[in-house]
Amino acid sequence: MSIKKVSLTDNEGKNGTSRNVLERCASVNEYFDISFKVMLLGDSAVGKTCILVRFKDGAFLGGNFIATVGIDFRNKVVTVDNMKVKLQIWDTAGQERFRSVTHAYYRDAQALLLLYDITRKSSFDNIRAWLTEIHEYAQKDVVIMLLGNKSDMAAERVIKHEDGQKLAKEYGVPFMETSAKTGVNVELAFHAIARELKHRAAEQPHEPKFQIHDYIESQKEKSTCCGGLM
Amino acid sequence: MAADVHNKGGATWDTAKGGLAAVERMRSDRSDSPTPGLVEGTEPGAGQEHTMFVHAQSFEDLTADSESNPDAELTGNRRSAVGDSEEVQEGQGVELQGGSTGNEAGEQKQWAGQQRGLRPAREEDVTGEAWRAHRKHVFVLSEAGKPIYTRYGTEEALSTIMGVMMALVSFVEAEKNIIRSIHADGYRVVFLHKSPLVLVGVSRSSQSERELSRELQYVYYQIVSLLTLTQLDHVFRHKQNYDLRRLLAGSEHLTDNLLRMLEYDPGLLLNAVTSLPLASVARDALSAGLQVARAKSLVFSILLAGSRLVTLVRKKDQYLHHMDLHLLFNLVGSSSSFREGEGWTPICLPKFNTAGFFHAHISYLEPASNLCLILVSTDREDFFNLSDCRRRFLERLRRRSAYKALQEALHSPTYPVSQVGIPELWHFVYKSKSSGLYTSPELPVPYQGEEEHERLIRLYRYLHSCLHHPTRPLRSMYRSGNTENLFAWATSGFELYLCFSPLGTKALAMSAVTKLLKWIRKEEDRLFILNPLTY
Repeated sequence: MSIKKVSLTDNEGKNGTSRNVLERCASVNEYFDISFKVMLLGDSAVGKTCILVRFKDGAFLGGNFIATVGIDFRNKVVTVDNMKVKLQIWDTAGQERFRSVTHAYYRDAQALLLLYDITRKSSFDNIRAWLTEIHEYAQKDVVIMLLGNKSDMAAERVIKHEDGQKLAKEYGVPFMETSAKTGVNVELAFHAIARELKHRAAEQPHEPKFQIHDYIESQKEKSTCCGGLM
Repeated sequence: MAADVHNKGGATWDTAKGGLAAVERMRSDRSDSPTPGLVEGTEPGAGQEHTMFVHAQSFEDLTADSESNPDAELTGNRRSAVGDSEEVQEGQGVELQGGSTGNEAGEQKQWAGQQRGLRPAREEDVTGEAWRAHRKHVFVLSEAGKPIYTRYGTEEALSTIMGVMMALVSFVEAEKNIIRSIHADGYRVVFLHKSPLVLVGVSRSSQSERELSRELQYVYYQIVSLLTLTQLDHVFRHKQNYDLRRLLAGSEHLTDNLLRMLEYDPGLLLNAVTSLPLASVARDALSAGLQVARAKSLVFSILLAGSRLVTLVRKKDQYLHHMDLHLLFNLVGSSSSFREGEGWTPICLPKFNTAGFFHAHISYLEPASNLCLILVSTDREDFFNLSDCRRRFLERLRRRSAYKALQEALHSPTYPVSQVGIPELWHFVYKSKSSGLYTSPELPVPYQGEEEHERLIRLYRYLHSCLHHPTRPLRSMYRSGNTENLFAWATSGFELYLCFSPLGTKALAMSAVTKLLKWIRKEEDRLFILNPLTY
């Protein structure tokens, strides 16, 4: 095992959060203080890979649909309050035949980004099934965030912003609409996750709890008018 | 066009096309063959100690019905140890999909139907002339007549035609017969029934029925490699009219790409792979690097440069079949998703074991290069261990000069035929039977266009089908034409296909062969993988 798992229960923060957990990064000589595993989930073709590429490289993978095969593992280091947080991101294939291999890695993940496509109802309807799976296979305290992707495609929208909001509320998870094409809220989604995980790892009894919901609300770019109007 | 048959005694016949005279296959007279090294194991390119692959008599092996009698396929093979799945597992357990599907059967119901992979290029009018005009169609359907795959157009639009196909198959089978092919109006319709799937190929080309059937087998194994046969059987046993496209969603481009590979890659025809020309010192260093970076669950470590093999290290006594390797090549070649990051995917290697999945760790050594490392493991949970193997291999590699040699070799992944020094020789394909590797120079100018490239492969395919004719195999064959002269020769050690300028003569071709074999012998260090390693 090369990558040391950073356990959330480990009291890393005993002498402040600055204690460097220097680990070797396989790709570049990038050092980081703490690392977390994040997994992207959702039906096929909702835009999981596109969201990741937008976040990682700032580009949009337009054109042809390229299905992810199995799961795909990439790293990105973000800075949260002067701390280098490495996100190890699992991009998963949405197709049914890959379920068993994704199940095997659910429990390693500390955060899950669950995506649906606002232009396709079936992908939204399946969110409940995804959440059932998550409860079965993932860690109990996993951070979940619901994302309605493709918010730029206003004309084809079939899932209202409020529907997403309502579902998220029901399960008590944060929600936002994103667009891999325009980049709306993509950075925010990953940064909110990084922040939440960092705070959890470093949690001290006297420090106020990080409020991911409030953080998101304060930072969110409203995805223009179409969200509310429909 | 006259086809000229060259027999050992030197007698030649001019015969009408398709009516080639039979040549007696005398297996006992290898020793007095004119060139040394014709015998299996001593030919140029033969590995020095062990082979890397399941030793396959190429064509015959593939067409043998492996399912009905898996052992029969292996008995004739030298040192073949694969096929017995128990041997592989060694307590580590290749995951059997049968078990897990059982659990998931109920669970699947709560999922709304997922949409399929989007293939905009497919929207084609299946009633139009353009659709009919395609050279080769391939259809896959279930035994209930449900469409699973079509090469052109959409499956939905073809459900009637597939229903008719299934009706034909069932009608003939009701009389305890098997439908193999229909020949009509310049078309060949070939059927392959491999329960629970039915595959149908429709071709307007001159390709033999056997060849077409072999291509259908490839498609069949492509589907098995995605799901395992156990899962396929399980799914259809529970629900006869199951729509398999649901499980295969997003994989259509794999089958599309495989069918394209079958049109232009001589490796699939010869059941062999080609390697990146590389100094043997550098190659051995790379093999040693892979050998050291091992993990308990690791069965094969494969380093590829594009579609060329750089090296392959395997677990002792485990051999990879060419077909499985081609399926891996196809997986890597058809998806850009491995370009960055590290991929982890289940894959069944059907010639190894149709019942279970391996898990492959797939990554490019550098995002911009086409060096791809495939680590095949038996353990679904072992991603991080394999990721570590990759890291160790890379670290070691960067410290050595072999990496530089490799990167230089990547700039010239092929060689011009002029290196051989025979002006009339335009192109050739040489396969060493015992190593399962072939070598071939880059395509010369007249064949660089897609059309001409495919035409050359079709010519080779024709020669190949004559050398491997089921009842009257030829040992050698010379065929002169308006645009090129061709010569093919098979011995127990190698198969050789040559393409000469149309101005050349047969005598010249004969002398060229000797010269070429000498050249290959001289270059074998670089062109072949002579020292394959095991963990």
